[in-house]
Amino acid sequence: MSKNRPSDFGSFWYTVGKELAEIPVAPEVESIPMRSTDFADLYGVRLSSIGPYRLFGYLSIPKGDGPFPVIYYVPKNASVLEIIPQGTSNEIRSRYITFSLACRGMRNSDSPYAAMYPGQLTDGLESHETYVYRGIVADTVRGADYIMTRPEVDKNRVAAWGNDNAILAAALHDSITHIVSTPAYLFDPIESLSKTDSYPLAEFGDYIRSNPSNSDMARSILEYFNLRWHAQSITANTLIMADHEDGIYSTETLSDLKELIPGEITLHGSERSSFKDGLFAENWITSEMFGKEVSPIVPEHWR
Amino acid sequence: MVPDPNYICSVEKPEDFDSFWEDVTKTLGNIDIDISCVLDDFRSTEDISVYEVFFNSLDNIRVSGWYAVPSKHSGKLPGLMLVPGYQSDPPIPREWAKKGYACLSVNPRGKVRSRSQFDPGYPGLLTYGIVDRNTYSYRGFYCDAWRGIDFLLDRDEVDSERIAVTGSSQGGGLTITTAAMRKEVKAAAAGAPYLCGYMDAIELTHTYPYEEINDYLRSNPGSRKRVEDTLSYFDGISFADRIKCPIIVNIGLQDNVCPPETGYALFNQIGSKNKKLYEYDGHGHEAGRYIHSRIVDEFLEEHLGQE
Repeated sequence: MSKNRPSDFGSFWYTVGKELAEIPVAPEVESIPMRSTDFADLYGVRLSSIGPYRLFGYLSIPKGDGPFPVIYYVPKNASVLEIIPQGTSNEIRSRYITFSLACRGMRNSDSPYAAMYPGQLTDGLESHETYVYRGIVADTVRGADYIMTRPEVDKNRVAAWGNDNAILAAALHDSITHIVSTPAYLFDPIESLSKTDSYPLAEFGDYIRSNPSNSDMARSILEYFNLRWHAQSITANTLIMADHEDGIYSTETLSDLKELIPGEITLHGSERSSFKDGLFAENWITSEMFGKEVSPIVPEHWR
Repeated sequence: MVPDPNYICSVEKPEDFDSFWEDVTKTLGNIDIDISCVLDDFRSTEDISVYEVFFNSLDNIRVSGWYAVPSKHSGKLPGLMLVPGYQSDPPIPREWAKKGYACLSVNPRGKVRSRSQFDPGYPGLLTYGIVDRNTYSYRGFYCDAWRGIDFLLDRDEVDSERIAVTGSSQGGGLTITTAAMRKEVKAAAAGAPYLCGYMDAIELTHTYPYEEINDYLRSNPGSRKRVEDTLSYFDGISFADRIKCPIIVNIGLQDNVCPPETGYALFNQIGSKNKKLYEYDGHGHEAGRYIHSRIVDEFLEEHLGQE
């Protein structure tokens, strides 16, 4: 395990937050009729993050009277921005406000910076100031800022859903009440390299192998993003979706993370089935948001 | 919900299907492939050499790919083409190279590194130009994958008699069309095949990416007949009877993206006498990957293993 929490960890993130606060969100909202249905309206949203940098997101709002709970699909380590994740029942848009955000580098937020995949995780890793993930975390937080400006939002039910960035969003923005996270690359990233040659973690391995003289600097920079050091800030109710027992981020590996998060937490080990794991997550979020008596909205083949 | 293994999709193969694709492939053949294959030191390891690849495809679109080979090898290597999912970023196939394959992971048009000339976006790719078979996005997209076989055939280290194709989801669909159209493919392994039974899929499930078609039809209700006509030329089920090589297909019976009914309908139409279907109950779109990856390894070893 990593033991190297940066001594200026708090001031590093305070500075990012301060920088973000000085940039207006400046949202521009445009209706997308083609993706609107008889139960939800879809909008394209442009907003500003540090830089300043303009980002794009998809906002879906249920028809009818709110307020509605929110699922915020945080930015991914992948090029494509989805309205809702592939395979999710489109009908969930009748129950939740959904907001998916492309961080800098992803499609729709790729001007002037177009990330490569693999590539995004090590761009600018030469220094604290140039590492692109500092901006990506700011973008993730900015998405939560924007959500909270919407009058349709039930502020007591705001879930961040995704990979590592879901945890970072909740750690750095106190509006997040729930987390569904599948950690993939930011929990003790350097220590996890020995377990895999697979991407995305392998990006860090490629970088260190090719830049041995900068490896100490890279390791120290990544500690600012290590979920281990963010965990103690989380008060949201949390579902961690772990790998199966042979995976990189198994329940055993993530048991440390579980212990460090002071909020209520469920750690689910993968059953090696996207159906079973997906159903578990849908049941969890529905129970948390609506109570145990309400059934989740799931795809036809999961019923 | 229990899927019907005898489900028949509504798609009808057009009478001029073969001549349509013969014309397309003839046009493709007249375009100089102009391969660029440059070693990428950053992504290479001690054991695996990784190359960044570009080549020309239909409409003179420059298509990219990742090519990985074992750094040390003797004799010819079996060639493998890995075809990508709909919205996933094509991976660097180091894992396949580690198993002894010369592996091309192709990035068809519109995907990352192949989007400077054509980029309908996501959502968008599935319905781009869908009112006409000659403008539909997948006309070129399919060709980009098929051209990947030409890349492998061009490589000195690849044994042209031992070439296979594999992928899952959209990669499963591309595996079907590539195996159907390229006789050089000696074995194929398709997982959770997408792009098969489109018009049934949009009724059987309401999840993206198939939901893109429902979005389109809701906005363009008068185009339904044209959409159906176009898709009949691109449906994997229309290609299936052309497949003659050994092939395995795996489906998840709780697949929430590519309905298992369409997987059954596809499999039943495959022309190869050497075909096998693996059905995974209790599994979704990953289609039993944890169990099935070993089966794919053994299948490829059986058909490509011996020089």
